[in-house]
Amino acid sequence: MLAFIARRLAISSLVLLAATFIMFVLVALSGDPLADLREQSTPQAQAQMAARIKALRLDVPIPVRYFGWLTDLFRGDLGVDKSGHAVSSQLALATTATLQLVVIATLLGAFIGIMIGVVSALRQYSSFDHGITFAAFVCFSLPVFWVATMLKQYMAIEFNDWLRDPVIPLWVIGLVAVFAGLVWASIYKGRWKGKLTTFAIGFAVTAVVLYALSASHWFADPGLGFPFILVVSLAAAAGASTLVAGWENLQPMYAALASAGVGALLYQPLQPVLSDANLLSILGLALLTIVVSWVLGHTLGGLLRRQAIPLAVFSGLLTGGLIFVDRILQAWHSYTVSVRNRPVATIGSETPNYSGDFWHVSLDSAMHLLLPTLALILIGLAGHSRYSRASMLEVMNQDYVRTARAKGLPERTVIIKHAFRNGMIPITTILALDFAGVFSGAVVTEHVFGWRGLGAMFTKSLKEVDPTPVMGCFLVAGAAIVIWNMVADIAYAYLDPRIRLS
Amino acid sequence: MTLNTEHAEPTAAPQGMAVTARTQRQLVTRRFFRHKGALFGLALFLFVFVLAFTSIGFGPLPGWWDKPWTGSGTILDRGRPTLSVIPEFLGGSGIHLGEHPFGQDNLGKDYFALTMRGAQISIIVALAIGLVSTFVGTVIGALAGYFRGWIESALMRLTDVMITIPVLIIGAVVGQIAGNLGPYFLALMLGVITWTSVARLVRGQFLSLREKEFVEAAQAVGTSSRRIIFKHIMPNTLGVIIVSATLAVSSGILLETALSFIGFGVRPPDTSLGQLIQTYRSAMVTRPWLFWWPGIFIIAIALSVNFIGDGLRDAFDPRQNRVRN
Amino acid sequence: MTTSKQGVHIGRRLSDSKRPGETEILKVENLQVSFPTEDGLVQAVRGVSYTVREREVLGIVGESGSGKSVSSMAVMGLLPKSARISGSIRYRGEDVLTMSERKRRGLRGRKIAMVFQDPMTALNPVHTIGDQLAEAVLAHDLIPRKDALARAKEMLDLVGIPQAEARLRSYPHEFSGGMRQRAMIAMAIINNPDVIIADEPTTALDVTVQAQILEKLLEVKDAVDAAIVLITHDLGVIAGMAHRILVMYAGKPVEIGEVDQVFARPRMPYTVGLLGSIPSATVSGERLQPIKGTPPSLINLPPGCPFSPRCPLADDQCRTAEPPMAETESGTQLAACHHWSKLAEATDPTAFFRTNSETS
Repeated sequence: MLAFIARRLAISSLVLLAATFIMFVLVALSGDPLADLREQSTPQAQAQMAARIKALRLDVPIPVRYFGWLTDLFRGDLGVDKSGHAVSSQLALATTATLQLVVIATLLGAFIGIMIGVVSALRQYSSFDHGITFAAFVCFSLPVFWVATMLKQYMAIEFNDWLRDPVIPLWVIGLVAVFAGLVWASIYKGRWKGKLTTFAIGFAVTAVVLYALSASHWFADPGLGFPFILVVSLAAAAGASTLVAGWENLQPMYAALASAGVGALLYQPLQPVLSDANLLSILGLALLTIVVSWVLGHTLGGLLRRQAIPLAVFSGLLTGGLIFVDRILQAWHSYTVSVRNRPVATIGSETPNYSGDFWHVSLDSAMHLLLPTLALILIGLAGHSRYSRASMLEVMNQDYVRTARAKGLPERTVIIKHAFRNGMIPITTILALDFAGVFSGAVVTEHVFGWRGLGAMFTKSLKEVDPTPVMGCFLVAGAAIVIWNMVADIAYAYLDPRIRLS
Repeated sequence: MTLNTEHAEPTAAPQGMAVTARTQRQLVTRRFFRHKGALFGLALFLFVFVLAFTSIGFGPLPGWWDKPWTGSGTILDRGRPTLSVIPEFLGGSGIHLGEHPFGQDNLGKDYFALTMRGAQISIIVALAIGLVSTFVGTVIGALAGYFRGWIESALMRLTDVMITIPVLIIGAVVGQIAGNLGPYFLALMLGVITWTSVARLVRGQFLSLREKEFVEAAQAVGTSSRRIIFKHIMPNTLGVIIVSATLAVSSGILLETALSFIGFGVRPPDTSLGQLIQTYRSAMVTRPWLFWWPGIFIIAIALSVNFIGDGLRDAFDPRQNRVRN
Repeated sequence: MTTSKQGVHIGRRLSDSKRPGETEILKVENLQVSFPTEDGLVQAVRGVSYTVREREVLGIVGESGSGKSVSSMAVMGLLPKSARISGSIRYRGEDVLTMSERKRRGLRGRKIAMVFQDPMTALNPVHTIGDQLAEAVLAHDLIPRKDALARAKEMLDLVGIPQAEARLRSYPHEFSGGMRQRAMIAMAIINNPDVIIADEPTTALDVTVQAQILEKLLEVKDAVDAAIVLITHDLGVIAGMAHRILVMYAGKPVEIGEVDQVFARPRMPYTVGLLGSIPSATVSGERLQPIKGTPPSLINLPPGCPFSPRCPLADDQCRTAEPPMAETESGTQLAACHHWSKLAEATDPTAFFRTNSETS
């Protein structure tokens, strides 16, 4: 495995090197960096020109210039821009913002997309499948800049206006509830009677929840609270156990419920710990959750430990996540006040000069990430759901899935252990290829939302014919893509023993 | 995949056989025209295409729409669209186009004419990107798939390198170089950099087909590589090539509009749908129609092409649609 | 139509195995399966009936598309949901078609097990052999995993895989085709089933391995006291392997009887044709007699005997009325042919095909 990674690393570095060369030549050909100085006839323009020629090595042929750039790079120097500022300091800020956006959007988009794709493959030709197929086609055809602009207008500007008096009109509640009911009914597999019941339940639950949220002005100061966390985490634990382990043997479910219950009961005791939290302590708590859940799964799982442990860990982490969200929402009120009651941000990746504790800062970046991420997810969702659907359908037709059924395995084991595991193998490749696409989307999204990230730096420098920052941006993006591809390759090798062993 | 069935003679049906043999082309056409989504896509695409090219005319050909896309005029009703599609008996103002169906911009330009002009350019650029990238991708994929040794590894490494560069980033640089030379040259250049997905697909097909018996048979009798590639393998990859060409067109229009939006695509005095959105983005609140119409046209074109591509894929490879469970 | 059986030596013969009992394990009655497709309803199985007794080996023979695999998939409950199934399939008197899904799953892999045609694709490439074998045990019994793995090792030993302990941790791609099929057999017998359905278990294998696999199948059958339904298109396989034989054509049985009876006195021209197209080890210098034409499409079958377009004995009656399965001169041998008596009168029934092929 180590040799595999090392070989992969070497190839990736060479690929990145070649890519930087292509980009360097193209960028060098994209314009004359001295154009702005040539127009000036002042005496100091001559001196500036000479300085710039020296700094950017404009007096040597492009390949030589490239090797100069490369040599500097290996010394850890990314060069200077047209006005003589070091590129590395500008890059540092831009990189954090953009990588955050890109990674979150990719992971969330892949997760949601794969879930949707798998469900729609398992319900092939149902109305859910048809609906998703159509929605995916529409998403495929959406220009990301158009979506981003729409989101900015309707999800931010008008949503913020609405937050002043967060009452949902009855007709909206009705419409959303009907839609939710239809979605649930379309996933339900069975006779129309069951479908109708599913629709009714889905409709009623959605309507009641929305009405309650509206009537209590929940959106003005949202929060979850202990009862909500307890109920939801237990329900999620039970639901996940039903899906994965079924009702025949209940040990896995007991483990999951125990893990969720313990987590929820720690809600109150944890509050003081959380109030002066930082990233490190949150990670520590997450680790602790995993350990405790693992132990619970191991002791309560009995003979079904292999199912119980992952279920317990999942339930524990989910409960922890809910508590985290609850704590972050406790900062909502003071945060909205400090941003003049416009919590959904439309410009930049953080409020300028904003300071606060861990929770306020986290909320601030979350609110800034919300819409750009949403735009990128919407675009990526289509691809992931289509590919995973196709992949699952392909796998469900394989002989070994038939063998698994012939052994008498329950259908959920057939799907999770035999079909899903194999279906994910081609998806990792798609995930790797898609990452560069998300970067493309990020360039556009940053333009719309006024982020000062890599994309904005890239477009601005390119427009001003300033080659060094352009190369700096590409280097970071290219390195991220290459590393991501490597991670995907390792995941591929992990999933497919045929690759691992050769 | 069916092998060489395109050349196969329909065999005489033996007695008792109810299924008559059809040629590959007949089967594909029949399956395509049975595909509802594909028909919808085809109709939508033809509608947009005909509308864009006949309304304001193209080149020397005059159109039926009387207002030019360049000139400005007096602003009527604050430039609101006059198009109405709700009939009077439903409480609307009847079905009519009116003076400025898509409204006017802040200079009084007729926005219908402007949108049509943008659609023309965007369609041409998208088709050109699709054509060029399919051609380049097919050549590279075929060479990499058919020949072993250094040609294959060199071309595949090149593909790996190109995949590492986000298409919008290299597209912007290319747009910066080619932007001043007009939209057609831009389309050509964008086609030259977006061939990777076609190349990968075609290579995959070639890899599996070159191991097939009919290729070995052709090699055994001493057929030249060129003839094997063009006469024996290429016809069998036609389906994949056509499908990826349509997908290249739809991603082409999204690429061009995105580039124009960030300022590296089609530039004034030329216009395109993406550039229109960029120009009038700030008018979103006061004149939302300036934002809506070009957006709707981009989506309509991309959506229709995607539907056509899906129909073609199902028509060429119906296997994907069946499931045993 | 088949691979040569010449030179294949089956060391263990059926006569070395335990005798079949009288208890009926599996009884299939008038099984019909059809699939709706774009071109119309495909009637893949049009009324199949047979009985399998304890420890008995029943061979089902037919060309591809004759419905032999589909009917066994119906027994296993592995047909796609779009399939329309009627008739009855009784396991020890209980109809599995009306059983609850959960109860049916309890039978699958525990009481009725299956060995598939292509061992290269029938094993999941991402899980180890040991895991896939143990899983078959754990699907039906809640026992510690280590016990299930021990059972898996035992089974690998039984089917003759060397170093079973180490092989448990191997992945399928590290096995040869023959080894994989042995692993599949091990998986089939791991729960001591009553019936093993073997769907062309040797078709995808090398000729030399075929015999070993068949031998192994007979051997393990006795180890777990199971009956076998052996599906094949290869009459040569049936000859040394089965007690009784069922010949299928166009979704229907056309002849059923004791193997020796049917081989010596075929009473359906299709069986005659099949026998005429296998090479004989004893008579040399004789030309093989292929059956001309292809099987009919199962959509919109024309009236009459489906074999009539290819049959040298066909007359107008054959083209209008489909013959039912009827007793021939022996009560244990049934055939679906209007003219079975003509075959009985002929000294060498394959001669009909010879004249046919020479005159046409």
